[in-house]
Amino acid sequence: MASYRKKMLAVAAAASMSVALAACGGGSDNGSKSPGGSSDSAKGGTLYYYIFAALEHTDPQRTYVGRDITNWSRTVYRSLVTFPISDDAKVSTTPVPDLATDTGQSSNGAKTWKFTVKDGVKWEDGKPITCEDFKYGASRVFATDIITGGPNYIITYLDIPEDPKTHLPIYTGPYQSSPEGKAAFDKAITCDGNTITYNFKKPWADFPLAVASLHMMDPYRADKDQGDKSNYQIFSNGPYKLEGTWDKQKGGTLVRNPNYDPSTDSTDIRKALPDKITFDIGKTAEQITDQMIADSGQDKFAVTERRVPAAYYSQITGDIAKRAVTVTSPYTDYVVPNFKRMTNLQVRQALAASTDDTGWVTAGGGEKAYEESHDIVNPAVKGYQSDLFPAGAGDPEKSKQLLQQAGVQMPYPITFTYPSTATADKQAAALKAGWEKGGFKVTLNGVANQDAYYTDIQKPDQKADVIWAGWGADWPSAITVTAPLFDSRPNLTKNSNGQDYGAYDSDEFNALVDQAQNATDLDQQTQFLQQADQVLAKDVAYIPVDNAIFYFLHGSGVKNYMNTAASNGFPDLGPVGVK
Amino acid sequence: MFAYTVRRVFVGIIMLIAMSMVTFVLFFASPIDPAQFACGKNCSLEQRAQVRKGLGYDKPVWEQWKNFAVGVAKGRDYPEDKSLRKSAPNLVAHCAAPCLGYSNVNIATVTSEFKTRIPVSFSLAIMAFILWIVGGVGLGVIAALTKGSIIDRGLVGISLIFFAFPTFFVGLFLLKFLAIKWGFFPVPNYISIADGGVWNWMVNLVLPGLTLALFYMAGYVRMSRAFVLESMSEDYLRTARAKGLPGRKILFKHTMRAALTPLVTMAGLDLAGLLGGAIITERVFNYNGLGKLAVDSITVYDLPTIVGLVLLLGSFVIVANIVVDILYAFIDPRVRVG
Amino acid sequence: MSLPESQLERLETTVPVDVGDPEAVLGKSPTQLAMGRFRRDKLSMAAFVVVAVYSVGAVLAPVMVKLNVIDPLKLNQNLLDPSLGSIPKAKWGGISLAHPLGIVPGTGTDLLSRLWYGVTFSLTIALAASVLAIVIGTVLGIIGGFTGGWTDSVIGRFVDLTLSFPSTLMLLALSATGVALAAKVLPGSGSDPLPNGFYEVLVLGLFGWPPICRLIRGQVLSIREREFIDAAKLLGASRRRLYFKEILPNLWAPVLVSFTLTMPAYISAEAALSYLGVGIHPPTPTLGNILVDSINYSVADFTYFFFPALLIAVIVVSFNLLGDGLRDALDPKADR
Repeated sequence: MASYRKKMLAVAAAASMSVALAACGGGSDNGSKSPGGSSDSAKGGTLYYYIFAALEHTDPQRTYVGRDITNWSRTVYRSLVTFPISDDAKVSTTPVPDLATDTGQSSNGAKTWKFTVKDGVKWEDGKPITCEDFKYGASRVFATDIITGGPNYIITYLDIPEDPKTHLPIYTGPYQSSPEGKAAFDKAITCDGNTITYNFKKPWADFPLAVASLHMMDPYRADKDQGDKSNYQIFSNGPYKLEGTWDKQKGGTLVRNPNYDPSTDSTDIRKALPDKITFDIGKTAEQITDQMIADSGQDKFAVTERRVPAAYYSQITGDIAKRAVTVTSPYTDYVVPNFKRMTNLQVRQALAASTDDTGWVTAGGGEKAYEESHDIVNPAVKGYQSDLFPAGAGDPEKSKQLLQQAGVQMPYPITFTYPSTATADKQAAALKAGWEKGGFKVTLNGVANQDAYYTDIQKPDQKADVIWAGWGADWPSAITVTAPLFDSRPNLTKNSNGQDYGAYDSDEFNALVDQAQNATDLDQQTQFLQQADQVLAKDVAYIPVDNAIFYFLHGSGVKNYMNTAASNGFPDLGPVGVK
Repeated sequence: MFAYTVRRVFVGIIMLIAMSMVTFVLFFASPIDPAQFACGKNCSLEQRAQVRKGLGYDKPVWEQWKNFAVGVAKGRDYPEDKSLRKSAPNLVAHCAAPCLGYSNVNIATVTSEFKTRIPVSFSLAIMAFILWIVGGVGLGVIAALTKGSIIDRGLVGISLIFFAFPTFFVGLFLLKFLAIKWGFFPVPNYISIADGGVWNWMVNLVLPGLTLALFYMAGYVRMSRAFVLESMSEDYLRTARAKGLPGRKILFKHTMRAALTPLVTMAGLDLAGLLGGAIITERVFNYNGLGKLAVDSITVYDLPTIVGLVLLLGSFVIVANIVVDILYAFIDPRVRVG
Repeated sequence: MSLPESQLERLETTVPVDVGDPEAVLGKSPTQLAMGRFRRDKLSMAAFVVVAVYSVGAVLAPVMVKLNVIDPLKLNQNLLDPSLGSIPKAKWGGISLAHPLGIVPGTGTDLLSRLWYGVTFSLTIALAASVLAIVIGTVLGIIGGFTGGWTDSVIGRFVDLTLSFPSTLMLLALSATGVALAAKVLPGSGSDPLPNGFYEVLVLGLFGWPPICRLIRGQVLSIREREFIDAAKLLGASRRRLYFKEILPNLWAPVLVSFTLTMPAYISAEAALSYLGVGIHPPTPTLGNILVDSINYSVADFTYFFFPALLIAVIVVSFNLLGDGLRDALDPKADR
């Protein structure tokens, strides 16, 4: 699943302020959902997919946006294991075999993982997919100066020594590496016929989840690799292939891949009904919604990743409402107190107490845009706890009391930093009002350049007292939420707070993360993570403000339209048809 | 005349060099790290340093400028790292002279990106230009000839009303109602003449062209009105009328020529400004021209593209100035250049 | 692009001002004559009244906020319907006695208060940027025009260089740096609206002066040939005295007209910059940042869509008409 950050980049001027994992069990509520049955649907036709901002990459190892991960999974990039199509979030977040014969076998305390590649699986040029292709794909992740932007967990997991000077592995990727590095890599990943073995230096109990959720472990053909020049290349092994080239500004069209053999695949993963899928880039959420409402021409056969802007909700009635779906997205927004400035626990507790979550949600467009959040871990992610934060409109009286007990000057002055959009500005105003009722004096600092935002808030000497951020689990486990965001050890350095924007530093929390990471059993791991999350709540290391709701329209000619947990809440291209 | 042109071109080149230096200094002084954007999420400081080196942003500003200048003259190879080019020849991207740089955001040389964007912006500029010149000057002359009447006031008033709303407002309004809601026009989507023929090219340009034209038109209506009125009161027109020349002949042969000459300068410079892309209109209508390229490269801090754009747009203005001055000398014999 | 340079460009050729007409008819000064002409022009007078009303409103708004008569920041989310995208529950955008123009979707803030206070910010930005552009343009124009020779050509090249820079692009590209720098310089830094506003003013002004400089230089060229300048020179007037005591008073007409025409251009520019995400952000209201949000509500909440657009259009048109009227009044030829 994608990080909010990547999504954030894409959002720019649009209304949405949030990103990360998919629908919990009862995710789809009002708005009628198209029937899941596929009886009325057949092969053929062209599906249009409207996207606002240009994709930064289509290279599998560099893909990190939830929407792209799922789109490519269903069409061009098959992985060892992947997630099936299902309305049931539990089913659609459980990996099933894809290019591998099973979901992997672990040994050595989850430090060694083995997969066997299926026979008869081919690339779009007809050549078979081999174990070596997988190994080459993984090797690319290590070229961190060229293959940038993608998830690179395997760098920290794979059993390769570290260069003490750079703290990076001694293996530096297939383009340029020392012989020692190459040798270490050859030992860490081995091929025996069709069987690939990964050797890690620490346990990775949920490795198959990671493989299914991201494309970093995908195979890659060495002879097609041109490094950065391959950024917009798509060399398929799925049911579709790219027609011509990908145009960064306009998108591209996928057509059927003649070398795809459906017998090696399952219709539980890909039905591949449309003959063509056209990705159309550049229209704003407002324009897309206007076109979807008008529902004429090719718009009848269109889906989109843009949420309906709040200004349009009152127009989604009658027949149009039948083409609208709401689903809880995998993305959670939260604010963190800056621990370098808000050192007093009671002040932080006062901040949490006076946070007007209801006002935040209303300002963002109401119940179809956001739901109040109780935990930074999304409801759809293993480890979610619904009782960590009370949400609601806040308790200003309690907040004032806490501030008095803390013995600080009142009103207590704070600065709130957030990325500025028309919607976010309104939401920030709502938070400000709540905090001021609770005894704070709030200065708002909206940052206009969304792309620069995360650089800004990583600065250790920043003036902000409270910082907004968004996150989505990389795979549906809390280990990809709290650990990367609050573990001070990988994050805090002299020049950067990393993703620990508030410079939170707790030995208690770090110890629990270690225990979770070393757990060989998923349930045990979850337990440690929940305890760790409770520590965060106790210290008020963060205050969750919302889970984003995905409210999408689709054309009247689109059949089997679904937003699943497997597709990160975005339209699932697996089952969809247009005939 | 020839010597004059040569001198102007020479000054223009000096100016471009000055612009490139100013631009480099301005962006180098920026606290924003372009490597951060290239490196993306999960990027440790060490990785970012690697990326910065790979892009050549670790060098001092004068050296970056020198490399840039050499690239313009001789061409360059990317990535910067020579040993990498040797160990993985597959990765090399050659940027032929005149090389304005290589954008690792667009995965293309800056010049090749310009080549795909220029036709879009030029088409838009030409469409807008035609609409506003025909509309603006036409209405302005009519207003002048009916000076003081309701028609005069009405025309000036209407042109002002469109001018009163910001461009993005007019553009979004036209798009939402004329194209999507009422379907009078297709939802604009640039189609080149080669791909869709002249008709498709034109139809798709009407709304964005109109958006820009409405903005410029107001000024031209008022100006051409003022100029026509002014020249109508000149002595030589009285002479022409006294000679008994027919009204139409006076209007076209004497009045218009004198009145509209000053418009040439303005129209030329306005057009030159537009050739460089209309940032807001292109963004509203999702036209992938130079203006949208500018906005896109700024948000991700794509330095080579930004620098290239500043120079390209600057050269449009410089060239337009030269052309306009020369043209002026042809139209108005009173003007001597040199 | 609705940025000012192209519009300013027009000033050069459209301000044919006859400076210091010595021939006083019926004992009236040229200024009195011009005022008389202006007063007879009903449309211009109407425009003048509108501009005056906006200006007085802009001055009053901060007082009204202080006195709590208007409150552009107070949330009234209880008046909104969170199931319909948080638009006002009541019809007609929630227009009521308490909220004569309705309320803003999402926050429920009073639209009248926001627009009123927004006029203050928009006009202040436009005013400051205009003054900056005019001061730079006038000073350099006088120096260049009067001194001539080497100084004049340096200024001329500087004008060309500035005009060659794509100003909108530069403005956007430098915004992050510029705002950060402004935040360092200004007190109470780190947030709205000072640094953003300051940056806007600075860049609009710095890229806006060349056309004014050219215009003023042209005027100065003709003034410097007049007898009173020779007289002043013979009397041994200092350079400074020549520039500011002898020449400057004769330039007020083109300066005034330039001013009335740069104002609306910068008001529009502020809105355009808000659309591009540069500029002052809410909760501080400006006409631009209100319009950027309200434009999407043409169907859902028409009153919220209508009033901001109306307000900005009226002031832009009025300033332009005022500028035209002044130009006509100050130019005796127009009466023929």
